[in-house]
Amino acid sequence: MVTAVAAAVPLGALLAAVAVLLVEALPAIRYDGWHFLTGSAWRPGNYYGNPVRTGGVLHPVGASYGALPLILGTLESSVIAVIVAFPVAVGAAVLVVEKLPRRIAGAAGFCLEVLAGIPSVVFGLWGVLSFGPWLARDVYPALTHLPNVPPLDVFHGPVGAGEGLLTSGLVLAAMIVPIIAATTRDLLRQVPETTKEGADALGMTHAEAFRTVQVRWVRTGVLGALVLGLGRALGETIALALVSGTVLSSATSIYGTMTTVAATIVSLLDSAQTDPTGLAVRALAEAALVLLVITLGVNVGARVLVRRSARGAALPIGAGF
Amino acid sequence: MVREASWSDARAASTGARREGTAATMSARDVRLGFGSVTVMEDITVDLPPGSITALVGPSGSGKTTFLRSLNRMNDKVRSFWREGEILLDGREIHGRDVDPLVLRRRVGMVFQRPNPFPMSIQDNVVAGVRAHRMARRSAMRDIAETRLAEVGLWSAVADRLDDSPFRLSGGQQQLLCLARALAVEPEVLLLDEPTSSLDPRSTEAVEELVRRLTPGITVVVVTHNLAQARRLSDNTVLFYQGRLVESGPTSQLFDRPSRPETARYLGGDADPAVLA
Repeated sequence: MVTAVAAAVPLGALLAAVAVLLVEALPAIRYDGWHFLTGSAWRPGNYYGNPVRTGGVLHPVGASYGALPLILGTLESSVIAVIVAFPVAVGAAVLVVEKLPRRIAGAAGFCLEVLAGIPSVVFGLWGVLSFGPWLARDVYPALTHLPNVPPLDVFHGPVGAGEGLLTSGLVLAAMIVPIIAATTRDLLRQVPETTKEGADALGMTHAEAFRTVQVRWVRTGVLGALVLGLGRALGETIALALVSGTVLSSATSIYGTMTTVAATIVSLLDSAQTDPTGLAVRALAEAALVLLVITLGVNVGARVLVRRSARGAALPIGAGF
Repeated sequence: MVREASWSDARAASTGARREGTAATMSARDVRLGFGSVTVMEDITVDLPPGSITALVGPSGSGKTTFLRSLNRMNDKVRSFWREGEILLDGREIHGRDVDPLVLRRRVGMVFQRPNPFPMSIQDNVVAGVRAHRMARRSAMRDIAETRLAEVGLWSAVADRLDDSPFRLSGGQQQLLCLARALAVEPEVLLLDEPTSSLDPRSTEAVEELVRRLTPGITVVVVTHNLAQARRLSDNTVLFYQGRLVESGPTSQLFDRPSRPETARYLGGDADPAVLA
């Protein structure tokens, strides 16, 4: 009985979250329809004129909500974050486990764990006050001199002041590196010594042994860690509200200002509550619902992926994820 | 790392070589081994004749595994490990400047106390070393896997699941797989560290039978706690106690006509180390 209740709690919480958001968002869903996912303009309309009724939903004149830039901004910044963070994090974990002397490795591992626990607002402030301006002054101008061929041509364009898509992606990367690195490190440590010795005893080089044993042992779990990091990046709110530029349009270049679903919700909620018809808040609830669906989709997709690769990995039962 | 020509050639050698006649001699001359300030073994001089099975026996802590692991330089990685004296493979010092430890380990293979398959398919396990040493073409891998699995008597059991995980095999089958993996790189010497201590009697029998079949094509050195196994399996036996070689010689002689009273006491079944003191 107790176990049944305990098992039902997470499921219930998830269903409740979906249900509440759905109820809250329903008027906006009826008002905007599919246009919410395809439209690019986020216009609250005129709060001060008389509201009108369309399709049974009361709304300010001129209200129109299209969340496509928010959704794109969320996906783009997260993808940049993962692309940058993954090699750095895995490299750091390999270094800590395989290369560094034990005493230094312990200190480095401790730092990783502390980094993973830093509040995101600290990352955001660092990004907007220090990291972003430094990038715009010293790094981005250099990137514009990269050869003008795909995919490097994405780095061409006006670099801006340091708030925008690339800065957002890099700040997110800094936030998820510790998560991925700490998980990867723990996985590498679980690789049995005797299996590694088996590779040594065959006369494999260090690199061959690493490819044969460690990589195969941890790759499923590392994929799980990657999804963990991606989940954090997709939902990250306050840091992106600070460094994205929070303009309600898509980035025009990789340096361009943009926004994400979460950053929009947190920065617009205050003004949305002044909408006398309440539609602006409903629209934000719908945006939250979209974010929830994206996150769920990523997790389910990752689970399928992990399960498929776990089948090929031939790990002993209980090892890996 | 410098790979001198003849050793590099050995690494690149094709799979054509037959097992017969490739067995190598190993010998130790006045070997001392230790970690840091501790001497684990001293005064070890012993010959491991080509194509023979030599059992290393002695109570726990007598240093036999340390000695075994120094024969293919597996201790190199252990911090603070040191060695004095000569260890020779076919008359050449294995610590020589011209010796690539990777080539040495291909020539002197090793199987461990517990089966340690790699996290990859059964077939990939068998050919992992072949692949690393580029001993054969990709297209030949399946045949090599079949040959080696047949050699260890595992083929009929796994023929239809070469792509499966080795971890679904029984412990004994996993150990045979590890033997197949070690044999696939065509070693001249095979070191076995208590290879049957985690296996049931039937699997133990299978491993012992395989080891007997491998000789005289290959030189085998086996560490064992099981005196009965040493007796039925080995040609020669070496008895270690507290880091010293007590007595070595033909197995039948050590068991039946030992020249030292300590040997008689230990091999006679009274395994209490105190009696040796």
